[in-house]
Amino acid sequence: MSIALFVLRRLGRGAVTILFAVTVTFLLLRLLPGDPALAVASTNMTEDARAALLTQYGLDQPLPVQYVLYLGQLLQGNLGTSFTQSVPVVDVLLQRLPWTLLLTISALVLTIVIGIPLGVLAASHKNRFLDRLVQVLGVTGQSLFVPSVGILLLLVFGLTFRWFPIGGAYSEGVYGMEWYGSVLQHLVLPTVSLALIQLGSFALTMRATLIDALGDDYVTLAKANGIPPRRILWKHALRNAMLPAITLIGLQLGFVVGGAVLTETVFAYPGIGRGIYEAVTQLDFPVLQGAFLLLALTVVIANMLTDIAYGFLDPRVKTAS
Amino acid sequence: MRHKTLAGAGLLAIAALALSACAPQAPEAPSGGASEAGNDTLTIATTTDVVNYNPLIGNSRSDYWVTNLMYPHLLSIGDDGAKEAQLATEWGYVDDTTGYYEIRDDMTWSDGEPLTAEDVAYTMNAVKQDQPSGTFYGQMTNFSSATAVSDTRVEIELTQPDSSIVEEIGFWGNVVPQHVFEPAGSVAEFANDGSGGWVSAGPYLLTNVQVGQSYTMERVENYPLVEGGTPIAAKVVYRVYPDVNTEILALQSGEVDVIANSLPPAQVQQLQNTDGIEVAEVTGLGYAHMTYNMQNPDLAKVEVRQALAHAADYEAIRSVVLQGQADSTGSSPLMPVLSKYYDDSITEYAFDPDQSRQLMEDAGYTADADGMYPVSFRLIYSLQDPVTSQWAQLVKDGAAQAGIRIELQGSERNTYLSQTNDGDYDIYAGNFAIMDDPVTNFSLSYLPGGAINYTYNDDAELNALIAEASQTFDEAEKISLMQEAAKIVHEQVYDNVMYTQNLYVAYSSEWDGFISKPSELLSIVNPVSVASAFRVAE
Repeated sequence: MSIALFVLRRLGRGAVTILFAVTVTFLLLRLLPGDPALAVASTNMTEDARAALLTQYGLDQPLPVQYVLYLGQLLQGNLGTSFTQSVPVVDVLLQRLPWTLLLTISALVLTIVIGIPLGVLAASHKNRFLDRLVQVLGVTGQSLFVPSVGILLLLVFGLTFRWFPIGGAYSEGVYGMEWYGSVLQHLVLPTVSLALIQLGSFALTMRATLIDALGDDYVTLAKANGIPPRRILWKHALRNAMLPAITLIGLQLGFVVGGAVLTETVFAYPGIGRGIYEAVTQLDFPVLQGAFLLLALTVVIANMLTDIAYGFLDPRVKTAS
Repeated sequence: MRHKTLAGAGLLAIAALALSACAPQAPEAPSGGASEAGNDTLTIATTTDVVNYNPLIGNSRSDYWVTNLMYPHLLSIGDDGAKEAQLATEWGYVDDTTGYYEIRDDMTWSDGEPLTAEDVAYTMNAVKQDQPSGTFYGQMTNFSSATAVSDTRVEIELTQPDSSIVEEIGFWGNVVPQHVFEPAGSVAEFANDGSGGWVSAGPYLLTNVQVGQSYTMERVENYPLVEGGTPIAAKVVYRVYPDVNTEILALQSGEVDVIANSLPPAQVQQLQNTDGIEVAEVTGLGYAHMTYNMQNPDLAKVEVRQALAHAADYEAIRSVVLQGQADSTGSSPLMPVLSKYYDDSITEYAFDPDQSRQLMEDAGYTADADGMYPVSFRLIYSLQDPVTSQWAQLVKDGAAQAGIRIELQGSERNTYLSQTNDGDYDIYAGNFAIMDDPVTNFSLSYLPGGAINYTYNDDAELNALIAEASQTFDEAEKISLMQEAAKIVHEQVYDNVMYTQNLYVAYSSEWDGFISKPSELLSIVNPVSVASAFRVAE
């Protein structure tokens, strides 16, 4: 199969996945208990005022009509208008997107930068102390709950040592390079928090695939040829072990994005995750639909890029497809 | 291989470009020198973002706190529940169906336009016509129209005599600039999101918004409501935190100076004993209560409602759950804080399971071998309300002692609101934050069709008393009528008012000069208080 056809098929699958995500999100939101008019209006709202609000939101229409109208809007690139803020959803999301990107990419990079050496360390010391230590830490990391880690980090490094701020993305009243420094300082705890929960599974996967690779014939042959163990490990075995790890990075992006919702909420980080939390409490359907579409797009594109990269790295994948 | 490398490098370059385009951008440093009144920034913590910058729509606390610093109210309120002058200097009635406000002549909008009676009349007429979803519109039932009869006098025409409406509109409604809002069309849909900048007639002007993080407001030099005519702090920044506990961490670490939200009861004593933190008591203007859905045939019997009322240990609830930070209202909706209306002859339902059992027997029920009557009631409450969540359990336990089963159903807030609106409960448990005017509150709570008539009662005698009070302009007579009405509510248990919570707010010892007003909405973050606050000299 040609690379063009391979990419085209992946794009097609991505489009179907997005349509599925859009439909499920649309339906799930409307299954939520509650009423957007009640969520935004005062308690002394009259029934007439409530009905007027529902009409204004378009929620007085039958569900299939709402769905078709929504899909039509989407095809025109229109995500709608926020129920509560009366501004375009695109504006609401674009205000928050940069912070979520910064946080998730930082966390992903930190996970990879620490996870690969940890996996290598464990695999190269198989069944010895360092291996067991990495395994224990890895399983512990997988069991952590983001808010618990976040609050612990806040208490220790925010309140007790006062090394890092309690919340937000930067300090008020700072400009220029000082502002970038402030952004970095505010980024540390949320990033560490988010990376900590991803690190375990990444390091353990790395370890397992590397141990497999180290048992392959070409490694035995390399050893017989007198190639230094360090070179075999880093140059030959790791390169082959990276293939599953790349898939994992793509898959983990979904978890990172999900984790960002909680992390941003705990650290009052002004990203899309916290926006989702607020939109849920306000039953702001258009904002939620837009945010979930954006997140679904992110994950689908990341997975697509992973597949394509995989195709480049391992030609057998393209052929098999 | 070379192609693969190039393709990989290309992909990376595209990704890097896309990401850099989305990267957060540093704000530009402000131009202009420092003002003479002071350069301090007062940082206030809140738990939610501002959802609406249009105060006629906004309904969340953050909406209220931020927009209140820009759009003045005609009236404020004192610790005794009496309305006080703010933008309006005088108010009252010309006749039974005509009200008036005299407003200050020294107020201007921050863009230089004078704030006149035209702005006030425009705001009221626009709210009546466009029906925005905020609290303001809820006060407009008997409002017909407003006219600016001079630059400083507004007269309102009523559809029928209403002796509360002048004060209620004055207290609940913000005044917005006609020259900004009118060109934007319906006030029910105008986002006022600052696309062309905001305009303020309050002490501060919103100048920078970082959604999810902060709202920066700069001082307006001319604010005659504060002593000296100029707010003291140069800037006010509202910072968003996920919850009160994180706000407390931020206050302790020096990241913020004030927590706008009231403190959970369990945190008050600890913070009172924390160095560098002050805790101020704020008068509560609302109450916590249970209402019994009379559409349920069992609860339609007054003896059953009375039995339930005598089956809760209110003193234990106030001392254990609220740690003593609440006052009994005597089981009356006329709270002690409304000192003119409070009637101490109405006393709290005594916790007496034996009396409850007797009442159940009087209502025709017979207990089974386990001492339980053949009734079971579903009590709903919001899980987002930790105090109610705790006392609901005590209510259940108390009722069990009286042989009455209560099934607790805590729900996420939107579900709870939906259940409440649909009447999908036997017992409703919740809070009202501000019940400032007895006649208005009785109308909403106890008249048939009232927006918060959660009991679904329709009592002819009570209806007549409320109707008469709403049309009576003699204050003594009005008070007397409301006290009669409160006695009926108490005897018939149309509402089981349990306590008024005393509120506590925390701020840094580095700041002083706050002027507290009743309720969480006003507390120490009301406009005059924020404008009066100053950093204590070291």
